[in-house]
Amino acid sequence: MGVTCVSQMSVAEGKSVQQTVELLTQKLEMLGAEKQGTFCVDCETYHTAASTLGSQGQAGKLMYVMHNSEYPLSCFALFENGPCLIADTNFDVLMVKLKGFFQSAKASKIETRGTRYQYCDFLVKVGTVTMGPSARGISVEVEYGPCVVASDCWSLLLEFLQNFLGSHTPGAPTVFANRHDAVYSPADTMVQYMELFNKIRKQQQVPVAGIR
Amino acid sequence: MEAPPVTMMPVTGGTINMMEYLLQGSVLDHSLESLIHRLRGLCDNMEPETFLDHEMVFLLKGQQASPFVLRARRSMDRAGTPWHLRYLGQPEMGDKNRHALVRNCVDIATSENLTDFLMEMGFRMDHEFVAKGHLFRKGIMKIMVYKIFRILVPGNTDSIEALSLSYLVELSVVAPAGQDMVSDDMRNFAEQLKPLVHLEKIDPKRLM
Repeated sequence: MGVTCVSQMSVAEGKSVQQTVELLTQKLEMLGAEKQGTFCVDCETYHTAASTLGSQGQAGKLMYVMHNSEYPLSCFALFENGPCLIADTNFDVLMVKLKGFFQSAKASKIETRGTRYQYCDFLVKVGTVTMGPSARGISVEVEYGPCVVASDCWSLLLEFLQNFLGSHTPGAPTVFANRHDAVYSPADTMVQYMELFNKIRKQQQVPVAGIR
Repeated sequence: MEAPPVTMMPVTGGTINMMEYLLQGSVLDHSLESLIHRLRGLCDNMEPETFLDHEMVFLLKGQQASPFVLRARRSMDRAGTPWHLRYLGQPEMGDKNRHALVRNCVDIATSENLTDFLMEMGFRMDHEFVAKGHLFRKGIMKIMVYKIFRILVPGNTDSIEALSLSYLVELSVVAPAGQDMVSDDMRNFAEQLKPLVHLEKIDPKRLM
């Protein structure tokens, strides 16, 4: 996959999450982007069960198991600041077997769903981030297909983001800082989504009135 | 131009339980050639396939009496192939008439950082070995004839030593749960390998 930047779009003043998403998608359609189906990225959190902690003598770690509709046959498992494992979907079956050792924090399943837009070499995905029934924020993912090295195309991506997001343009993702000249991989995108989801989880819930 | 449809729901792993049916036996080194010859005749027509794999067995200890075992296997002679992570459940104690050992199995293909990831999860390596041998197929049955090598220096797969003067022979099938006819087909195939090798159901617990 090409170099990708995942960022959060803040909800517009006096508007709901859904209205802000509509504003963004209208802007994309005016630019001439073509709608190409939908996407979904979800994330479940697991923590080491108390029974295993005692013997390990280390603080419980959080493990994230994520899926991305762009790679329907894969499953991504990662630790914050740790390795990201790319496996096939049987990994979910294994997590069921590991129930006694890793407990799923059911309430913290978070996902983003929305539309995919293709604009020349850019693939833009605008999604509504939801936790359970409530919409918590907006995710924007922009991928520049032709390039796989972050340092080579970050300025181009930034220019496109400024054109599209205006003042809400994000800074360079932290994954770029660590691996400037390395080949970009889907695992880097999943790390960005994990960071986004964690940020949104910590934020105040969007007022209910705004959602309707 | 029609865009390819993108699934709305990410495809998550099915909950179909796959079972591994297994029969095992062994042959001494000097009988290997005749066994390979017979297998070449009985099995599906294909290029003789050899393999050289490095397997590491990881344990996760918890409060439960028995630790959770996972097997991580990589190919040493085929570069670029994914690592293979395998979970094998307890053998099903059921029908004494069932001809093969049956246990739940989950097979997962993973990226190369599997060992680092397992360590991060809390698993620790219990033991490792190298397996070198031949692979045959007959329909859904897989027949492996291989030798196990002990690794003398942990992590160094160059210095290995054969564990015995024989080859382990395994006849296995991975099929959805409930397909017991599979073990009948396996027994029929095993009959055709007698007297070169006697494949039987070996309960791992009896050996410990």
